[in-house]
Amino acid sequence: MMKLEIQNVSKRYSKNKYGLKDFSITIEKGILGLLGPNGAGKSTLLKMIATVNKPSDGRILLNKNNIIKDPNYMRQQLGFLPQDFGVYPNLNAFEFLEYMAAIKGVGGPNLKPRIKELLEGLNLQEASHRPIGGYSGGMKQRVGIAQVLLNNPKIVIFDEPTVGLDPEERVRFRNLISDLANDCIVILSSHIVSDIGTIADNVAIIKNGSLITHGNQDHIIATVTNKVFEITIKIEELSAFKLQHTIVSTSRKKADIKVRFITENPVERATKMEGNLEDAYLYITKNN
Amino acid sequence: MSPFFNIIKLDYLQRTRSYAFLITLCASLAIAYSFVPEPNSNYSTIRISGYVGYYNAAWFGYVTAIMTSFFLSLIGFYLINSGLKKDIETKVGQIIASTSISNFKYLLAKTLSNFLILSTIVGVVFIMSIILFVLYNEGYSFELYQFIKPYLLITIPTMFLISVIAVVFEVFLGRFSVLQNIGYFFLFSALITFTPINESQFNYDLFGSKIVIHQLEEMVRELTNTDENSNLSIGYILSDIDSSKKFVFNGMDFSMSFIISRFIWVVLGFIIIAIISPFFHRFNMGNLKSTKKLNNFTENEISSKNINLLKLPKAQINYSILPLIKTEVILLFRKGKKWLWVVNLLGMLLLVVLPFKVSHQIVLPVLWFLQVSRLSDLTAKEITNNLSHFVSTSYKPIGRLLLSQVSAAVVLMLLLAFPLIIRLGLLINFRGMLAIIFGGVIVVMVAVLLGIISKGKKLFEVLFFMITYANINLLSFVDYFGALKHHRSYVIQLAVLGLLLLCASLLIKKNQLDND
Repeated sequence: MMKLEIQNVSKRYSKNKYGLKDFSITIEKGILGLLGPNGAGKSTLLKMIATVNKPSDGRILLNKNNIIKDPNYMRQQLGFLPQDFGVYPNLNAFEFLEYMAAIKGVGGPNLKPRIKELLEGLNLQEASHRPIGGYSGGMKQRVGIAQVLLNNPKIVIFDEPTVGLDPEERVRFRNLISDLANDCIVILSSHIVSDIGTIADNVAIIKNGSLITHGNQDHIIATVTNKVFEITIKIEELSAFKLQHTIVSTSRKKADIKVRFITENPVERATKMEGNLEDAYLYITKNN
Repeated sequence: MSPFFNIIKLDYLQRTRSYAFLITLCASLAIAYSFVPEPNSNYSTIRISGYVGYYNAAWFGYVTAIMTSFFLSLIGFYLINSGLKKDIETKVGQIIASTSISNFKYLLAKTLSNFLILSTIVGVVFIMSIILFVLYNEGYSFELYQFIKPYLLITIPTMFLISVIAVVFEVFLGRFSVLQNIGYFFLFSALITFTPINESQFNYDLFGSKIVIHQLEEMVRELTNTDENSNLSIGYILSDIDSSKKFVFNGMDFSMSFIISRFIWVVLGFIIIAIISPFFHRFNMGNLKSTKKLNNFTENEISSKNINLLKLPKAQINYSILPLIKTEVILLFRKGKKWLWVVNLLGMLLLVVLPFKVSHQIVLPVLWFLQVSRLSDLTAKEITNNLSHFVSTSYKPIGRLLLSQVSAAVVLMLLLAFPLIIRLGLLINFRGMLAIIFGGVIVVMVAVLLGIISKGKKLFEVLFFMITYANINLLSFVDYFGALKHHRSYVIQLAVLGLLLLCASLLIKKNQLDND
């Protein structure tokens, strides 16, 4: 049974500047969705788990092994897709994946068939013998996803994985993550709340380097129970309305505008709605 | 401040706020420190038939100005010849292309930004020369104009022209960084050998230093009462300082025509920028992609096949570094234009057919220098291609990946030197063979070490250029491949140096990974 324990981890950049502060969480098999505004510390946390960076304080344990002292223990079973990564433009996808496999310490007679399967599954087989320098952003992103799966990872970290993927590819990717989660820990960071909402078993919300809340989706969505409403108002009224309530979304209807919002106090003419993860995320980050 | 000057200022700030520039400044300080040797040192930098000047303000001012002009002309180009390339890489160029700025204004801004960068280094050296004068003072009074005059008339216009040349090369050879590096090497070599025959021809000297050197030679001729050509040496010349004879150099009065010529050179620089402006690609990326292999690939239909994780063939653990070496070799061979391999093959052929000394002393260092872009990219490519996160999370990145990079590059260097190694073998000169092998290791290790320290390519490119220039001028103190020195202890020294560089690289890389 895989178990990742992050114990009182901090990343200090200068005396009073922290990327992450006294962060603790325990993660087990399944999908953990990581949400937070820009600069919240999501990538900092993921890079420390992936052994790219070391924490200033605290411990990170994988199955009781301290990965700060023994990073290779983590690296042997890790699949990591960074938020922003590059490729060697003069290699083709097949060669690049062979190289990544060698970097990870994976080989043997099954390597080539495995790479072939991955390339086919990610719709890259046709381009696989052309230099990656000519690939589109989405194709490069899929090469990145393929390299994650090269070593049969037991802990998988995706930092903003759906960037550059078209809607169909996003659906396929979500299915892939769900399959992965049957056997390992998947940590998924995204700005797109719906990506997390669709597949994550648990959600952690980070702000200013600290963990605000952590739990299963129902637990988090419960924070906005009886607080989400919809109302149709005149466009001219919107500015004043925004000052009083947390707006989730708006949609125009000729001279009127339909507003989904969060409030503690019911508003006249407003219809109560069922909350979702996006509502809860906005409510929690605004009130913490 | 007008938008034009803002562009220059911000471009300058962007390029100087980097770790690499800081290292360059430190290296410039270290080099400047050696321009005027400490009174008891055993080398000289400018020496005419055994004569050196007394350490007065004029000697300090003129010697440091000439040396700065010489060295920054040599290496300055490599420091600044990526201004346009950076805008392509960062895609800022595409935004610039969509604005109303004219080609001329943009290129001029880049030229002036280049010039400011070089001037910053000149400024640091200038201050260092004054500090050295105070440190080594032999009782002469401080005369500021003896420092300002040569810098203003010799060094500063030269720096502007180097800035212009860098932009010209980038406009016409933007896609061929290897050609830029090698082309400038030959251009510099041609310009430096220009020898004015009469006084008016000093005006044609781009570097502006020949007139001072001529004056120094004249003074020594007068002292020695000889009409023969004096034996001038510029560079780092090992000599017993006690055996040097001294003469008083009180500076010189430049003729009006020379002063005007320096001004005309600068004006010519502006005109050149105006002339090349219509040829500037203006970040038309379609035109920039000349290589067939990098043409964009268009996808056809999306396949319906999904990845079945349970049915994926199981890969096995394999910690051998051979697959890594194989890919590193592929990356080295595919780097740069294919036709450059024809030049490499030609170089290897010359190693076979030319007289042994020429092959060893000239062809080999030039052939190895042709690989400068490959070597400088060796460890820096992880950063330039944004793969450092993958490398950081790889299994034993130092023991496996770094060693595979070193091994692949050594294979390349030895492959290129192979004909010469065989020739030495046939001559049963095993010491010479070993010296070349260790030389290959040393140059690779210097590339690796400087790539790790600077996290970029420039530092190694500049240093390798200087070393190669010194090699083909047969300066023995940079003979890293045993072309001039053959004794056993020297070969052992080369082996030890290679080993020390390897250890330093491993330790620094480990330290970087530990402290990330």
